[in-house]
Amino acid sequence: MVEHIINSISHLYPEIAITLTLCVALIADLVLKKESHAIGWIVLGGLVITGVLVVAQTGRELSIFSDMLAVDPFAVFFKIMLLIASVLVVLFSMQSRELIDYVDRIGEYYMLILGMILGMFLMVGATNVLLMYLAFELTSICSYVLAGFTRRSLKSAEASMKYIVYGAVSSGIMLYGISLLVGITGAVSIYGINEALAAGVEQPLVLLVAGLMILVGLGFKIAIVPFHFWAPDVYEGAPITITAYLAVASKIAAFAMTVRFFKVAFLDNGVDIAGALPLVDAFNWSVILAVMAALAMIVGNLVALWQQNIKRLLAYSSIAHAGYILMGLVVLTDEGVSAIMIYVFIYLFMNMGAFYVAMLVSNKLGTEQIDDYKGLGRRAPLESVAMTVFLVALTGLPPTAGFIAKLFIFGAAINAGWLLLVLIAGIMTIVSLFYYMRVVRNMFLFEPQEEAGLLNFGLSSKIILMVMLVPTLIFGVYFTPVLEFARNSIQIFGL
Amino acid sequence: MVTYLFILFATLAIAAALAMVLNRSTVNSALFLVLNMLSIAGIYLLLKAQFLAVVQVLVYAGAIMVLFLFVIMLLNVEDEEAVLDKINFRYIISVILGVVVLSYLLYIAGSMADALPPVAEDMAQVGTVEAIGDELFSTYILPLEITAILLTAAVVGAIMMAQHKFK
Repeated sequence: MVEHIINSISHLYPEIAITLTLCVALIADLVLKKESHAIGWIVLGGLVITGVLVVAQTGRELSIFSDMLAVDPFAVFFKIMLLIASVLVVLFSMQSRELIDYVDRIGEYYMLILGMILGMFLMVGATNVLLMYLAFELTSICSYVLAGFTRRSLKSAEASMKYIVYGAVSSGIMLYGISLLVGITGAVSIYGINEALAAGVEQPLVLLVAGLMILVGLGFKIAIVPFHFWAPDVYEGAPITITAYLAVASKIAAFAMTVRFFKVAFLDNGVDIAGALPLVDAFNWSVILAVMAALAMIVGNLVALWQQNIKRLLAYSSIAHAGYILMGLVVLTDEGVSAIMIYVFIYLFMNMGAFYVAMLVSNKLGTEQIDDYKGLGRRAPLESVAMTVFLVALTGLPPTAGFIAKLFIFGAAINAGWLLLVLIAGIMTIVSLFYYMRVVRNMFLFEPQEEAGLLNFGLSSKIILMVMLVPTLIFGVYFTPVLEFARNSIQIFGL
Repeated sequence: MVTYLFILFATLAIAAALAMVLNRSTVNSALFLVLNMLSIAGIYLLLKAQFLAVVQVLVYAGAIMVLFLFVIMLLNVEDEEAVLDKINFRYIISVILGVVVLSYLLYIAGSMADALPPVAEDMAQVGTVEAIGDELFSTYILPLEITAILLTAAVVGAIMMAQHKFK
């Protein structure tokens, strides 16, 4: 046992690096001057080291800590995604004007972000329902506090409160579902659950209820209809940096956990993986997931049409995107999983980019209203063009990367015969064009007011913008690397 | 016997939980929560999970609930009400009737004596302190450590949220 634990620790270096950075950030907060962004740079350094350690895990495929955690290409892929998102969010945070007023608390801010990263790293790899729940809860608790970080704003307090209430209820339901699942299968690792289900369970009804309850928790984190009610208010009230992080990173981690859980626990390994069928005949997971995906696409896109606040608009758009991504899970084939990974990769850059421009505008103009974007095309040409590219990518039009993302996920769904679902997705994509283009129209088709001059954002913000803009454009034309990366990473341990 | 006790504890747990939610007075709610936790501890005992039962009583019914009551009583003190003033003939009758009905129901339920499967022999071994300690520091060492981080994050968050004044 001792050898096993020591051996396992040698595969846990990225998580250990994050935990150490977390401690250093917390202590550095007491020692260093607050105004100098020193803690931000420390956190960035820690994340870079973590990145090196994650990349060093490439190609490993094993299970550590007595089947608690899997280190496999699937986990490594998602860890890299999470790290890119985290680095971008830390860079955003150093520029955010909202956070300057709270500089006294900035150490705790970064500490909680690191806590979230640790939680999400574990969510991505967890193969034991206990660890899955703990990781889920670690991520949630940190994000509840972060959503209410700008405490003097009433909206932020409201966001935090709503998030806690919804989160506590849904994770309670999920925990009950997990306990039922453990009760009927007698196993806590998802491999054991799979074996028990393959051998057949006596109470299929309890299994159905347990599965649905677990889906409530996961659906909450992904913000999928009908568990999305928290998302618009929380996204609007939280500081923009945190909104971007919730919309991208915690969603990606929850998708990774859902895919691993469903694929390992509920699929019959005996059958050919490419055409794998759910284990329990009495219960058709695919249909339930498909209905949820369709609802998310319809509700997200239609409600977004009426939004006046850019953060709320992006919140509903992210609900819709969760619907598109869920289509890949409905299929439950390797093709579907690799389509999810391609989508997530591209979604990361385009959504982060849109939030970044929204943050820059809010820094300068102090507004998040779409009406106030009028004439921005003249006042901030580069930022407006970048925003246009991000929004076109979010719509899914060529030549941006968003088109590639949608292409593969629609393709996977068509190949699996989900034509109706793809039809809904197609129609909703057209609907989404209206509200994304409304922002573009406001920026370019209106003259700025007389006294409004050119806005200067500084060189560093232009560089950060390029970091997101270039991939969004390049991967739309030259997408082979993303494709290769995703296809090489679909290997999940135990399948 | 086990069936009687199980049904008693289960009814008590559900009734106390309902009473806790429905009661107007916060102090009474808190006391019902204690009752609920104690009855759940009883169910743990029936399942031969001694350690869990003891921890349930010590930590939940003991420490956490005392804190709850303290806070409630500090913030929300109501006028003293003597219990004796409330008691009248109708209360006594209804209590007696309630006990009779409950025991009759238990008697009927107990006639389905084999309703509960017996606790397996090896399951009884799992519930001991040694077995739990062994598992916690070998198989479950990673979740244990993660719990530590989780609590740290929760403490930092709680302090940030609770601070009344800051610059």
